Amino acid sequence: MLLPEPMSKILVVGTKDRLPASIELLYGLENVHVVDFSPDEEGFTLGSPLPAASDASHKLLKLRSMEKDLEVDETKFKEKVPISKIVPTIDSSIEQIETEMQGTIASKAAKQTRLTEAQSRKAMLEPFRSIDLDLSLYKGYDSLDVIAGYVHSNPEAQLKEALGGDLELFTNPDSTFIVAFVPVAKADEAQRVLVQSGFTEVPVPDGTGKPEQLASALEAEISGLSKELEEVETNIEKLRERHANFLLASDEHLSIVVEKAELPLRMGATEHAFVLEAWVPTADVSKVKKAFADKFNEDIHIEVLEEKARVDVHESKEEMKMEAGLSTAEAVTVPMSQETPVKLEHGKGVGRFAYYTKLLSTPRYNEVDPTIMVAIFFPIFFGLMVGDVGYGIPFTVLGYLGLKKAQSQEWRAIATMLFYGGICSIIFGLFLFGDMLGIEFTAAHADELSWSALLGIEFPHVLFNIGDFALQLGYYTKLGSVKILLYISLWIGVVHLLIGLFLGFYNQTIRHGLKHAIMEKFSWIMIMVGFALVALLVMIDVLIGGAPLELTDPRFVIGLILIVVGLLLAVKGEGGKAVIELPEVMSNVLSYTRLIAIGMSKAGMALAFNFIAIELIGGADPLMFIMGLMVFIVGHLMIFILAILSAGLHAIRLQYVELFNKFFEGGGLEFNPLRVIRKHTSEE
Amino acid sequence: MAEVGDGLVAIGAGLAVGLAGIGSAIAEASIGAAAVGAMAEDEKLFGKGLILTVIPETIVIFGLVVAILLWLNMGA
Repeated sequence: MLLPEPMSKILVVGTKDRLPASIELLYGLENVHVVDFSPDEEGFTLGSPLPAASDASHKLLKLRSMEKDLEVDETKFKEKVPISKIVPTIDSSIEQIETEMQGTIASKAAKQTRLTEAQSRKAMLEPFRSIDLDLSLYKGYDSLDVIAGYVHSNPEAQLKEALGGDLELFTNPDSTFIVAFVPVAKADEAQRVLVQSGFTEVPVPDGTGKPEQLASALEAEISGLSKELEEVETNIEKLRERHANFLLASDEHLSIVVEKAELPLRMGATEHAFVLEAWVPTADVSKVKKAFADKFNEDIHIEVLEEKARVDVHESKEEMKMEAGLSTAEAVTVPMSQETPVKLEHGKGVGRFAYYTKLLSTPRYNEVDPTIMVAIFFPIFFGLMVGDVGYGIPFTVLGYLGLKKAQSQEWRAIATMLFYGGICSIIFGLFLFGDMLGIEFTAAHADELSWSALLGIEFPHVLFNIGDFALQLGYYTKLGSVKILLYISLWIGVVHLLIGLFLGFYNQTIRHGLKHAIMEKFSWIMIMVGFALVALLVMIDVLIGGAPLELTDPRFVIGLILIVVGLLLAVKGEGGKAVIELPEVMSNVLSYTRLIAIGMSKAGMALAFNFIAIELIGGADPLMFIMGLMVFIVGHLMIFILAILSAGLHAIRLQYVELFNKFFEGGGLEFNPLRVIRKHTSEE
Repeated sequence: MAEVGDGLVAIGAGLAVGLAGIGSAIAEASIGAAAVGAMAEDEKLFGKGLILTVIPETIVIFGLVVAILLWLNMGA
């Protein structure tokens, strides 16, 4: 349960006439993770795709282009079409849809091109509309230059002066657009004058006829084209509604066909045989063997190449050689690059937290899967930081709805956090802190705000006794028992970190053996315990309680010895960097004070809002009553949303940074077996 | 005089949280920017980016703890 599933590497060998049936079987088993064949082995080449691939790819190409033309959005069509309905008619159906579409798509393209042309021509003509000159009059002069463009101010006077009257000028009614006819010789002069009026030149359009008439004709054409295009779009939409399900289903079906047909590309091949290497969970090996035997009798040979050990071959080569009597050559041929795939096995509840592990990295084959740690501590830490029934209930409800409804992985992960975190918040809110929306159920002091006083119902502070232990509604208040809560949070940190270190110790024993594990991890366990004894039990009393430091205190002496011996071991195992890492022990533990600090800050904010709101509500003024209610609702909503962010982020951070650093390496390869995932088709 | 002393303690507590917060913010700003950059290259780096970004968060928690201890000793 803690380690990923044991894996075995198998070799499948058979004759090529059995290949298609073998591929079907491999996909059907859904627990075979294929290893790409490396073609440098002598006598083997890479396999070639089955003949079905090329025909199916060809059809896929057509289908995809049709989907693109019809703008099919695959998330909008969810009907599952049985394959038996697609396969027999796939060729004729594709052809039929193609002919149906051909005219529509072509006319759409043509109309769109014409529309853009007309629009750009109209845009060119637009400024000339208000100047009543035929377009043919703008061109074809030897001694005249035509200058047209926009100006900021009317340049007529300046132009006349500069050119000595050799000028014919037309302007639009508000003098922002001009057309000037000037002698070629004076064109440069005219340009210079115009620049001062902020002139930007506009090219004169080709053609003949009055611009006004041309432009109105174009306008009519554009509106006609737009209407026609709308019609074409409705046609396309009709086509889409009619054929989208078929298109998506056949696309999926053919994609699966192609994927299966191309599997030989990952195999080795000789003229008549194929070879396939794959990882299978060790527990399933016999099942795989039986499946092949049932289907092919003895025709396909399956052999287990190795059951993957957890030892790191790379580093313990020497030891392995001595222990197992392997020759160096044999030890080296185990390729390190071929990472064993990692299959994480969880129950339904813990499995929901696997997302958080994978968000960081997939665990390696030879290390503890931390998902179960996340599943235990993440909700507890979240609950401690929120610690309020009033927020816990909506969290739980939201999380429950999310788990029911949400599809995407990310939302499901957030819902998981809210649901389990919310339950923990309710538990801590009820029994540890005993408060709801920042108000305690029963007040410790008579003058404090409490639900008993507000509602006029007497809540029993002690629910019942189990032996000497009294189960109470709240033991500590977030703002009243800060010291003791902070102290408790430090011990939570020590326990959490020790769990991490023990997991790291375990990882090291399975990877490199006990000796390495003791030097690299047990050393730190000793330091951590020593730190807890010295700092948390003795020094806290001395520094904060003001007790005298007794050097003969056994806790102090044992703690110091543990730290020194642990440090020496760590230095031997890891080198000098262990000394630099020493202060990390303290900063790691102190980091857990956030568990209480964040709860406190929430409680402080709630206190402030409650204070204002109750002051307002208590008055006789109905307006003030509404104001008070608003403050209450908005304030608590704000704390509620902040709680998701801060409690969620800090709870996961304590796992990732403090806990995982003690044992987790990650970077594993996820188990990715051959299988068919159908969204738009169904098998029958 | 005790009131003045309490006031100074309160100011000290405020400075402890405020300055530690600014320190965390400066550190997280540049790390966060780099993390977002890395995520743009490869979305799988979100988890690692998140961790690196929140590491300086501890500084402000230290500040908060110091402030709480000061606050508890006020009036004493």
